[in-house]
Amino acid sequence: MSVMPGAVRLGGRARRLRRTRPGPVTLLSGGILALMAAAALFGTWVAPYDPAAQDLALGATTPGWAHWAGTDELGRDVLSRCLAGARSALLWPLVVALGTCAMSTSLGLLAGYRRGWIDAVMMRVVDLLIAMPGLLMLIVLVGVLGGGIGWAVLAMAVLFTPGDIRVVRSLTMAQRELAYAEAARTLGLGRARIMFRHLLPNIAPTVVAGALLSFVAALVALSGLSFLGIGLPAGTPDWGLMIEENRGLLDLNPWAAVVPAALVTIAATAATLLGDQLFERLSDA
Amino acid sequence: MLETRGLRVVGDRVLVDGVDLAVAAGETVGLVGESGSGKSLTARALVGLLPRGLRAEGSVEVGGAQIVGAAERLLRGVRGRRISLLMQDPFTMLNPLRTAGAHIAETLPGRTSRQEIARRLAEVGIDDPAVAGRHPFQLSGGMRQRVALAAALAGDPDLLVADEPTTALDATTQHEILALLRRVQEARGMGVLLITHDLRVAFAVCDRVAVMYAGRVVEQGPGAELAAAPAHPYTSGLLGALPSVERAMERLVGIPGAVPRADEVAGVCAFATRCDRVTAACTAARPPLRPIGRDRLTACVHDTAGPAGTARPPLPETALPTAPPVLRTAPPVLRTAPPAVCPAGPAGDEPLLRVEGLRKRYGAHTALGGVSLHVNPGETVGLVGESGSGKTTLARSVLGLLTPDGGRIRLTGLDVTDRAALGPRERARVHRLVQCVFQDPSTSLNPAMTVGAALAEATARAAPGDRIGVAELLELVGLPAAYAARRPKALSGGERQRVAIARALAVRPALLICDEPVASLDVSVQAHVLELLRGIGRDLGTGMLFITHDLAVVRQVAARTVVLLKGAVVEEGTTSAVLDAPAHDYTRRLVAAVR
Repeated sequence: MSVMPGAVRLGGRARRLRRTRPGPVTLLSGGILALMAAAALFGTWVAPYDPAAQDLALGATTPGWAHWAGTDELGRDVLSRCLAGARSALLWPLVVALGTCAMSTSLGLLAGYRRGWIDAVMMRVVDLLIAMPGLLMLIVLVGVLGGGIGWAVLAMAVLFTPGDIRVVRSLTMAQRELAYAEAARTLGLGRARIMFRHLLPNIAPTVVAGALLSFVAALVALSGLSFLGIGLPAGTPDWGLMIEENRGLLDLNPWAAVVPAALVTIAATAATLLGDQLFERLSDA
Repeated sequence: MLETRGLRVVGDRVLVDGVDLAVAAGETVGLVGESGSGKSLTARALVGLLPRGLRAEGSVEVGGAQIVGAAERLLRGVRGRRISLLMQDPFTMLNPLRTAGAHIAETLPGRTSRQEIARRLAEVGIDDPAVAGRHPFQLSGGMRQRVALAAALAGDPDLLVADEPTTALDATTQHEILALLRRVQEARGMGVLLITHDLRVAFAVCDRVAVMYAGRVVEQGPGAELAAAPAHPYTSGLLGALPSVERAMERLVGIPGAVPRADEVAGVCAFATRCDRVTAACTAARPPLRPIGRDRLTACVHDTAGPAGTARPPLPETALPTAPPVLRTAPPVLRTAPPAVCPAGPAGDEPLLRVEGLRKRYGAHTALGGVSLHVNPGETVGLVGESGSGKTTLARSVLGLLTPDGGRIRLTGLDVTDRAALGPRERARVHRLVQCVFQDPSTSLNPAMTVGAALAEATARAAPGDRIGVAELLELVGLPAAYAARRPKALSGGERQRVAIARALAVRPALLICDEPVASLDVSVQAHVLELLRGIGRDLGTGMLFITHDLAVVRQVAARTVVLLKGAVVEEGTTSAVLDAPAHDYTRRLVAAVR
């Protein structure tokens, strides 16, 4: 085609600008996630109260100067509990996302690059896992296994991986047919080198975006499990658990349930948007 | 019928800068240019179909109606009825869910009948009315292009804009479609604007040809006169770069440098930076298109087309920083190591590559039906065939990218038919024996790796005593050493293909397989790359299997030529014998198509 692709899709100046300076959406969503990460790391230190300290005499109160987000039924400071709860609310989804990403990327690359019986076997297993009703399985599985957060995280990673394997596999299959991959094979480079050094960087934008989507899905699903009482032990400061514990207080101090629920929503939205932006910037580079 | 005055296409910057064109009824006008010249954008501006973010300025009048700035409602009445567009790709141009007949019926005026559709198909040379009921995927590329032409003509337009209508087709089909276009144009007395990158096509088919460069027309005139005596240095440069199908040329001369952006040369002669006759007048102001004789215009300030104008005005040698001198003077390290070129092995009469009775089937389709050929050390063998002839399957079999169903492939006596059966040491040896340059420069380099990293990775695969540095490799293919830090995205198509050649040479292969290495390149760049490859064959003694569909290219590079048709060798011999006195009927048709 004789039309210059860059010129037609987007003017040269706009492209350069976008590459050098992140847009407002990236800044906002990245900033929100950075703030939440800071809360996860240092939340317990900056919290005005001990998140576990009870004041039964006080009980549930609406926001005021002493307690900015009010207190819950046991008189615990909601703001402090939200700050402290960022840790478990963000850490476990992060573990799920990283685990899913590592497993799906390596297995997807393997299936897409090797094809043949490895691919066939792997894809049948993937089909099987995808056919299972995910969340239901998760609840049953974690219930049977004793309800620990570790089991919940592991089961979630196993349930999320198959879909991502398919995505990585199909991208790998497209890349391996391209001339640069064939040239690498002609040079006699090792399989692992071709897979990880040649193919992986070219599918990285989707892998990164996929990891952020897994993070979002895990964040929401783990909050849901906490709400159902599965995963973290009762009393732990955690956004999902707080929603569950405080949903009875909607007439006394609605903030006790609304604030953690809003935090889950905001975190999930910010991560989704950031994933979109990262995908565009990485594929553009 | 069509008249453009000062047509500009503007986005963030100027892409087409002042095109004046006129097409009269019954006339075929060619618009020729390399990629980035703005010819396709011009075509789209004529029908008011510019991509988003771009707008046209100036004036485009089609049969008295102004296109620039016209409302979409008015344009809909003009498109198809007065002006119609035929596009390049017969694979995506037709809607895969609709039949051929439905495409034609859509734009037929009045009531459509089966007879009318059959008549329209007959006009484009399809005598079988059953074709109307077929879907695009059931038709060959040539048939699709015929159906697309019938659909474009269905509204009885006064003017047909054909944007690279034959580029995606095989040589013989290309010939048929061009002849058809000419026939239909004459029968209807219609105007045709043929947009193409192929100078030969333009000169053969068009009454008048306009040459576009960096968003403007630099020369205009009757095709034959332009070919005989070009009046602009760019046109003569293009003609000089064009490989001849009739004879092997001593030297292929590309144009140095690259096409500038239209907005960077707005006030000067666009070709000044690459021209060897540049004077102060060239950069003082933008040279206007001035008449020189009957029907001829040039945008060059010099009197270039003398009465004794030659097809190839000699460009001074000194003004040409082409690759060959580099090859001759540079890396002695490469030339003083003959053993790498002819590896120790069972020598004697054994050729470098011997393929015997190679067979490969894909389902019911036979890609290779028993192909035998050989390449001697240091020899370049051309492999000619159209798409589907099995030439790429053969290349991939030799490279070990696929395993054939039957037959044998031997490299310097080593049986490499089934790569999986080789031991690790033999496998390492095979990778150093044969390397490949692929067709598509946009995918042949890993976009995530710098040029230096890609080349370093390749040299690491060479035998320990034979490693060549990245800088030397770049020098070998005529690129500055600083290119090592660049990523493929920052390279032009020709530069990428040079890097791909350097990567292949890094292990110092005895055999280089070139799979259509210049098919996606512009003429001026193609000349550089062909010259580079010829130099490699000559100076490094690398044997080559050169796959191409272009007879002019094979004439320039190959000593011997093998013609492949539907997975079988139909003719084989010295290149001059095959091209000058073709024995097989198919070869004769191929040769006739480009003459």
